[in-house]
Amino acid sequence: MSFKIFFRRAKKSTFLKLGICGFLILLMLLFIAYPLMPYDWAGIDFANKNLAPFKDMKHIFGCDSLGRDILTRCLYGGRISLLLSISVVVFSVVIGTLLGLTAGMFGGWADIIIMRITEIVMSVPGLMLALCVVAVLGVNFTNLIIVMLITSWTGYCRLVRGQVMAIRNSEYVKASTVLGAKRFSIMVKQILPNCVTPIIIQASQNLGSVILMESGMSYLGCGVPLPTPAWGSMISDGRQYLTVAPWITIVPGIFLMFTVLSFNFLGDGLRDCLDPKNKN
Amino acid sequence: MRIVKYILRRIGFMAVTLLGVSIIAFALVRIAPGNPVELLLPEDATEEQINAMEERMGLNDPVLVQYFKYIGQVLKGDLGYSYRLNKSVSQLIAERLLQTAKLAVITLVWSTIFAIVLGILAGINRGKGIDVFSMMFSLVGQSVAPVWLALMMILLFSVKLGWLPTNGSSGWQCMIMPSLCNGLAQAVLVARLTRTGMADVLSEDYITATRARGISKMKVYSKYALKNALLPVVTIIGARIGHLLAGSAVIESIFVWPGMGQLLTQAIGQRDLQLVQSLLLVSAFMISLANLLVDILYTFVDPRIQLT
Repeated sequence: MSFKIFFRRAKKSTFLKLGICGFLILLMLLFIAYPLMPYDWAGIDFANKNLAPFKDMKHIFGCDSLGRDILTRCLYGGRISLLLSISVVVFSVVIGTLLGLTAGMFGGWADIIIMRITEIVMSVPGLMLALCVVAVLGVNFTNLIIVMLITSWTGYCRLVRGQVMAIRNSEYVKASTVLGAKRFSIMVKQILPNCVTPIIIQASQNLGSVILMESGMSYLGCGVPLPTPAWGSMISDGRQYLTVAPWITIVPGIFLMFTVLSFNFLGDGLRDCLDPKNKN
Repeated sequence: MRIVKYILRRIGFMAVTLLGVSIIAFALVRIAPGNPVELLLPEDATEEQINAMEERMGLNDPVLVQYFKYIGQVLKGDLGYSYRLNKSVSQLIAERLLQTAKLAVITLVWSTIFAIVLGILAGINRGKGIDVFSMMFSLVGQSVAPVWLALMMILLFSVKLGWLPTNGSSGWQCMIMPSLCNGLAQAVLVARLTRTGMADVLSEDYITATRARGISKMKVYSKYALKNALLPVVTIIGARIGHLLAGSAVIESIFVWPGMGQLLTQAIGQRDLQLVQSLLLVSAFMISLANLLVDILYTFVDPRIQLT
């Protein structure tokens, strides 16, 4: 698809605009808004224990049970959550695409084996599998990426395989074969470009779902280990203080919601703009 | 005849999948660090006691022998024994599955009715108020972390208002919050699919033709459009039933609901080998079975499907 059509559609898509704005604001908050995060994310200060939001303008969103500034922790934790979700999505896209291409192009046993593996992974609820794998590997940041990778590559694999199967028998691919193109060059030049659009759409939504899954795993004690802040671990960390200091839980949840929301806007917007079947 | 062949083939695939799950589950619980026997016995247990326990649990056999023994047991319908909880795994799972199923049925009923009605209204009135509402509902619903939503509900309905109990499994009040949390993702998915399905079908030529013949809007919607619009929705709901029955570890832990998900988190924490293995296997069985049934049903409902 030409960039001209893309830009023409992008101008009309409210979702895409909202998504891009949200994402840019998030990036600015997390990476250049140093005046908002003057404190040490691990700096314990018992004088401000469970300080309520808006009471002291030095700590706008209040402090947690150890007197650490919640805004600082949220912004710092956002980097960690974002790093986690981007790593998981990038690795999943690479692995899923390679395996999906292999299954679709070569067919036969490669196809049967790869598809059975995706079915095995998909037949166990993601969080259950993740919990069992974490129990084996132990809790740390790298292992968290590996665990989430295990549950999220399957989507891309099936997507790419489906796309390959649909295109493999199309006339232009047959024409290239007749003209003497090698299988590998057909794969890279003719088939892969057709997979890019659906992959981008799925990846932008996957970014949000990884952050959501991290929050679930944190609650079960398998998230980013303390004291490093990540939104999920901050939410579950605050649950003991829900009655005395609910803001410890509320604030990171709102950050998380707006981030995932902007990823979802981005995904929906990209779908509107990139889908070749979309005629407006 | 083709349908029989198709079903047999799919059952074969399902068996392979379950075999794979059993191998992975078996391997995972055995690689995990920590000796399950030492966790079971008191700290001052002697070497002999530990050996005796290992012998009893069959942990002294070679790993392959252990695996085939386990599979042999499962094929006979015996899911093993939980030494930790001193009960047969089948009995434990039956108890917990009943609790999770209660929650699943309620979740399924409210989320499906709510989502289909919302989706149909949104699909018919595209661009109007109800459509905008349904879109906002889906976007926000997709973006909220279930953990956070659950904690916020507890904060509002239990702590501030005191209307609902925070946990427990007795009485219908206890089921409201867990089923709302569980059903939200489901409702979002179904509402979106229904809306797109309805909107797509309504722009088809046959609908315009029916309207042109003077058939009333209501009749067109209910008789001609709905059936086709709901086809993909049926698949998604069917496929989700398996997941709902497997239980949600997070929601069940938060509301202390004694279901499958909570049992799994407990079992992993306590290194309860046979329980973890069998739980994964049973969950995988329910999910694959639900998918299989939906696919078979689909071939009857949608004549366009070609069997491969």
